[in-house]
Amino acid sequence: MNGWLVAATVLLAAGFGPVVWGVATGPLERRVVAQNFGTSVVCLVMLLLSQAYVRPSYVDLALVLAVLGPAGTLVYARLLADDLGDDPPHANLLTVVAASAATVIVVAMCVATGPGRATVKLVLIGVLLVAGNVIASRALAGGFPGAGASTRD
Amino acid sequence: MGRAAAVAAEVLAWWLLLTGAWLVLISTVDALEYLVGASAALLAAVAAQAARRAMSGR
Repeated sequence: MNGWLVAATVLLAAGFGPVVWGVATGPLERRVVAQNFGTSVVCLVMLLLSQAYVRPSYVDLALVLAVLGPAGTLVYARLLADDLGDDPPHANLLTVVAASAATVIVVAMCVATGPGRATVKLVLIGVLLVAGNVIASRALAGGFPGAGASTRD
Repeated sequence: MGRAAAVAAEVLAWWLLLTGAWLVLISTVDALEYLVGASAALLAAVAAQAARRAMSGR
């Protein structure tokens, strides 16, 4: 039991617990925001677990999630554009929380890893996470007009 | 001629970028990994250039 494992457990309980509640209940706007936040949380948990168990291969899972999570949210944003159009979800606070958590965790892991190719990989994952989160949130909030499936086709 | 040069330059830029990404993301760097990475990156570079051109509507 080390600090990384404690952090991963706390993040899983405090972050992913509310996400499960958010995707299972409430209006569509809340569900789609919760699933977007969920991909970021699981990605960060994977990063922390790779450090906790000293298994660098777990970082690959985080990398895949950092790419596919926002991409999946963009698919939802496009397909649900009609339903989200009336009252698009603005999750600025949640986006800031996710981006800050990603920055803190990636910087801490970079310090623990030390300079090298592994650190470049971590920084790349961090940039993908933060940028993906910001773009996905903006797409959900209707920040890209004309991108909906019905408006384009 | 100018257009072909622009396409070649863009594919080359993608190729360098993607090969660099491959070499950063794998666990151990050796000759075989380098060969496989460079080949896959060349395919992806051609696809990326075609996709970007398709999206920009030219």
